[in-house]
Parts: sequence; structure tokens; C-alpha cells
Amino acid sequence: MKIYDIHQPLPEELSQLPDEKFQVQVREHGFDEIGKSNSAGFYRDALRRLKQNKASVISFWIILTIILLAIIVPNVTGYTYTQQNVSGKNLPPKIPGLERIGIADGTMVLTNRKKDSLSNPKRFPEGSVLAVVKEYKANKVDVVDVKVDYYKYCKIDEGEYHWFGTDYLGRDILTRLFMGARVSLLIAFISVITNVVIGVIYGSVAGYYGGKVDMFLTHFAEVLDGLPYIVVTILFMLLFGSGMFSIILALTVTGWIGTARLTRAQFYRFKGREYVLAARTLGVPDRKLIFRHILPNSIGPLITRAMIAIPGAIFSESFLAYIGLGIKPPEPSIGTLLSVGQSVLLQYPYQTLFPAVLISVLMVAFNLFSNGLRDAMDPTLRGEEG
Amino acid sequence: MFKYILGRIGAMLLTLFLVMTLSFWIIRLMPMSIFENPEVSPEIQKKLEDRMHLHEPMAVQYFYFIEGIAVRGDFGTSVKIRPGLDVFEILSTRIPATVVLNAFSLILSIPLGILFGSWAALKRNKWADNIISFWIVICISVPSFVFASLLQYFLTFVWPLFPTLYNAQASNFGAQLYSMILPIIALSLNPIASIARYLRGELIETLSSDFMLLARTKGLTQGEATMKHAFRNSLVPIANTIIPMITGIMGGSLVIEKMFAVNGMGGLLIDSILAGDHFLTVALLIFYSAISLFTILVVDISYGIIDPRIRVGGRA
Repeated sequence: MKIYDIHQPLPEELSQLPDEKFQVQVREHGFDEIGKSNSAGFYRDALRRLKQNKASVISFWIILTIILLAIIVPNVTGYTYTQQNVSGKNLPPKIPGLERIGIADGTMVLTNRKKDSLSNPKRFPEGSVLAVVKEYKANKVDVVDVKVDYYKYCKIDEGEYHWFGTDYLGRDILTRLFMGARVSLLIAFISVITNVVIGVIYGSVAGYYGGKVDMFLTHFAEVLDGLPYIVVTILFMLLFGSGMFSIILALTVTGWIGTARLTRAQFYRFKGREYVLAARTLGVPDRKLIFRHILPNSIGPLITRAMIAIPGAIFSESFLAYIGLGIKPPEPSIGTLLSVGQSVLLQYPYQTLFPAVLISVLMVAFNLFSNGLRDAMDPTLRGEEG
Repeated sequence: MFKYILGRIGAMLLTLFLVMTLSFWIIRLMPMSIFENPEVSPEIQKKLEDRMHLHEPMAVQYFYFIEGIAVRGDFGTSVKIRPGLDVFEILSTRIPATVVLNAFSLILSIPLGILFGSWAALKRNKWADNIISFWIVICISVPSFVFASLLQYFLTFVWPLFPTLYNAQASNFGAQLYSMILPIIALSLNPIASIARYLRGELIETLSSDFMLLARTKGLTQGEATMKHAFRNSLVPIANTIIPMITGIMGGSLVIEKMFAVNGMGGLLIDSILAGDHFLTVALLIFYSAISLFTILVVDISYGIIDPRIRVGGRA
């Protein structure tokens, strides 16, 4: 390294350095002029880090949009989620606007129809046949595959649209899908909140009092945790019967254990600190020590944990629906829609497509958002995605 | 070591006992008649009830139930799905398919997960890492039954490469396995992604630790140091993800078995739940618990052998 004297002019090669060799160093954040701005607290800091994570921000808006859609859509489609229409079963999607460019235009290819029946207005109402796709002979009868406007074929009134089609009872899938999203999200949020509340109380008591109380509570939770999750959920669903409330209960039977463990660990970390000792010396009662002095330290990890649990709860709900223990029909949930759609997957793929896309988007968004939240709350964990 | 294994087995038996107790009381406290069959004459019903000790107090029934399982391996008789047949017999015909499906999915996912995870970690922030990380997020988030629907629609209907359903009557094992490929793939995507994600994080942290620097300074090449030091250290905690993964695969296989008509325990469990064949349901739940607890036991013990530090505290 060479040291230059500040009072001497710089040598030629340094004073003539071109501008592009210089790089402006800018600190984008973290400026704190003393006395002018408030110092950034933990949560403001976390929020700032969260905002820098693009995937999380986008996920947040996607989640918000889906929640808003779940609130709004079932009220504005013009159908109710139980309204059946016997003549309009399994209608394909038809969306105003998009129908002109050939997507979601309410057409369907019917296979194996007798060629003679095409001219029969009772079977094929006027204007319903759009094109003959394939002509062939089966058992010496002329048979055709024909592309029809399925809405006209079913004699549905002009101007009636089912954006996502209808199901096997002629119910509007769009309405049912977002009604189902409403139910699924409610189940997820309520069960996660319940888990957090139970877990926090359990973990606080175990962690704060320690000793025999802790030993008993921890062992109890450990035994309960050893039970396979699927088995416990199925058993309690059998006990409670199907329905939204029982799903929530079944998800809370063992769901709180993780939160309790986390809270307990946090209590062990903080209860020996001097400030707690100081508060206790001043005569602060146990209840206040737990909730005012120690617990607030764990809020960050608790929020993160709760967010991570939400996609798990959504998954569990649809899992239960698949094995026939879900929501009571006719109430929809994303899971029941999926499992109903799955049974006619090869005939009417769109009935599976829409719920599948919605649940996938929702799960990806929740996972990305909670990953971002965890990184923001605990920067030391960044990149270590365990 | 011996003491550790003994303790683990003890804990497993305790849990199994708890599952039995819970399932017995829950199923029996439900308001239902065990045989809702008007065609069975009252005398025969009486006899059946006698045989199953249904007129005794619950506590005594509970004793008989536990004794039957523990001493004679008798799980009762199916009353709705295959009336009169011993539950154990029904089970034994259904277990192989489930075990094959789950085992193949595990065998497939561990090496693939390790491969993708280490690839992503070694090429950190390059395009390979970005692509793998993207797929990891997708595969972890999207439920296995959605993947199963996609696979089933595109690979059996649009491009008929694979059979739509599992073919149990296939002439040889190869053909059977061929029809099982799609369910195995659908089940494996999620475990592959979770192993890869965990290993990636673990390996990235190890690669930047001080002992790696030491290994380089003592003259190892980057490749040698990675293989000898970083890799081994990162593989140990993988057992942590494998345990929840096993339960995940078992749960997923319940649904996947139904979708691909694999005649395993999953489909049977669903059928028996829907039909209300409670003896069968209880037996299946106990079997599910036993299998998952046993796998966890194996993983736990092997973990204890790999890393002696674990033995002291037990699995966190």
C-alpha cells in the first residue's frame, strides 16, 4: 500500500483517473440522523426486510386478493352455492369476452353420436352443432364425434354464463369455488389461532414454572406428539362427525404441540434475564410476568410459526375431504370440490382444474410469504430453509 | 447404545398402546350399533354380541380388546365390508401394495433429494440453483393429489404413456410396477423437494464454515473438502426431515391409493370409514401407527449410530 501526502499534489496517474473508474457508494437504508428520525424498532426493521423480499410481497398481495375474492365473489355471481339446475349439468366454462377468441366458449366435443340424430331438433337444438370432428362407422351405423355449443345443446337461456362451468348437479363452480375458499381459509385461520392460543398458554406454564410441572407437561405433550398425525385426525373426525367445527377440533388435537414447545424454549431463554428478576423483585405477579415481560419476546417466532401452519391446515382439510371426512355437503370446500372433480377428471377436466389451481396458488403464496416472514423476523436464518 | 434402543422401543410400544386405547374408546363411545343389519336374525346377533363381549361393561370389553391384540393377534371381525372375515386376513392381502408403494417412493426420493439439494447448494445463486429452488417451492406447496390429478390427466389420457389405474392382475411384477409408476412419482415429488430444500440450506451453511477454510488451507482441493467434510456433515441432519416425511408419504398414499385404485390399505381405510366398519377401521389405524412408528424407530436408531451426540438428548 502506498500512502500519499495530502499537502502534495497527487501524482499524474491518480489525478487523471477517468470518471467511470469511480463507484458511488450509497447506503440505501439505515441512515439515522440523530434526533431527526425515530429509531427503527424490531418490527419496523422486520417489515423493512420483508418489503425487500419481492416474492413475499407478491405472495402477500395474492393472498389478500384471494381472501377478497372469497368474500366478494359468492355474492356477485348471481347464483348461490346450493342452487341446482337439472338441465344444466356439467356445463363447460363460458366467460363473456373470452368466448369470442375460442377459450372458455362453452363448447364441448361429444363422441359416439348417431349421425341421424344430428338433424333431430329434439336431441340437437338448432344452432347447437358447430362442427363434425370425426366420422366413422361402428356396428354398421354412421357415428360422429361432434363439437357442440353445450349451452344451446342443454337449452340454456342465451346470456347465461357459468365462468368456471357447473358440476354434476348443475351448480355454478365459480360460486362454489370461492365459497369453498372461504370455508377452507376459515378452517385454516381458526384452527391455527386456536393452536397458537393453546400452545402459548401450555408452553408458558411449562416454561415459566419449570421443575415438576414442566416435566409432567412436556412428557404429556411428547406422548401425544408420538401419535401419528393422520391417525389422530381421522379418529377425532370419526368422533366429532363431519363438519367445519369438527375439522377445526381435529386439527387442534395435536396441532398445538409445536407452538407449546417453541414457547417453552423461549421462556427458558428469557426467564433468567436480569430484567425479569428486577420485575419480580418489584413484586410483579406471575401472570403479569408471563404475559407482559416474557411472552412478547416470542411474538416474532410465533407469528412465523402460525403463518407456516396455515398452508398445512388447508392441506389437511382437503386431505380429509378426499377420504370422505370433510365438510358436510352441500357446503363446499376446496378439498371437496377437488375430490368431486377428481372422480370425473377424464370427462370434465375443468372441474378439477379450477380448484387445483386455486389451492396450488394459495399454498405457494402462503409458503413464500411465511418464508419471507421468517427471514425478516430472524435474519440469522436467512437462506437456511429448514 | 443398547439402552438407547431399548428406550426407543419402549416409547414406541407406549405410543402404540395409547393409539389402541384412544381408538377403542373413541369408536365405542360413538352412538352406533355395530351391526345395523336387519337381515341378521336376533338370535345370531345375540350370538355375535356374545362372541364379541358386547354385553359386558366397557372396561371389560376394553380388556378383551387389548388382550385379543396383544396375546392372540386378534383384531376382531369385519362386519360391513367383508362380513364375517377376520380383519387380520383382510389386512394381510392389502399390506403388500401399500408397503411397495411407500417403500419405492422413499427409495426414489432420498437419493434424488440429495442430488438436487447438493446441486443447488454447490451452484448457489446460479441458474441451476434458481430453477431447482423454484421447483422446490412448487413441489413443497402443491399437494400430492393435485400432482396426481395432473399426471393422471396428461400422462394417461392426453398422452397415453401409462395405464390410468394400478393393475393388480398384471402377469409379472414388472408390469405391476409399470402401472405403479405414476402413483410413486406423485408421492415422491414432495419428499424430494423437502430433502433438497433442507440439504441445500444445510450444505450452504457448512460450506461457509471455518473448518472448510481449514480444510482448504491444509491443502485439499475444493472438491475434496466438499466431499470429505461438508457433505458428510450436512447429511447427518437429513434424518430430521425423513421422519416427518414418512408420515407425510403415508398420509399422501391414502389419497393416492384411492385415485389410482391401488388395492392397498389406504383405499381399505377410506372404504371402512365410509361404510362404518369400525373394527376394520381401528385395526387399520393401529397398523398405520405401527408402520409409521416402526419406520421412525429405524430412522431414530440409525441416527443414533451415525451421530452419537443424539443419543443423549433424544430427538428434539
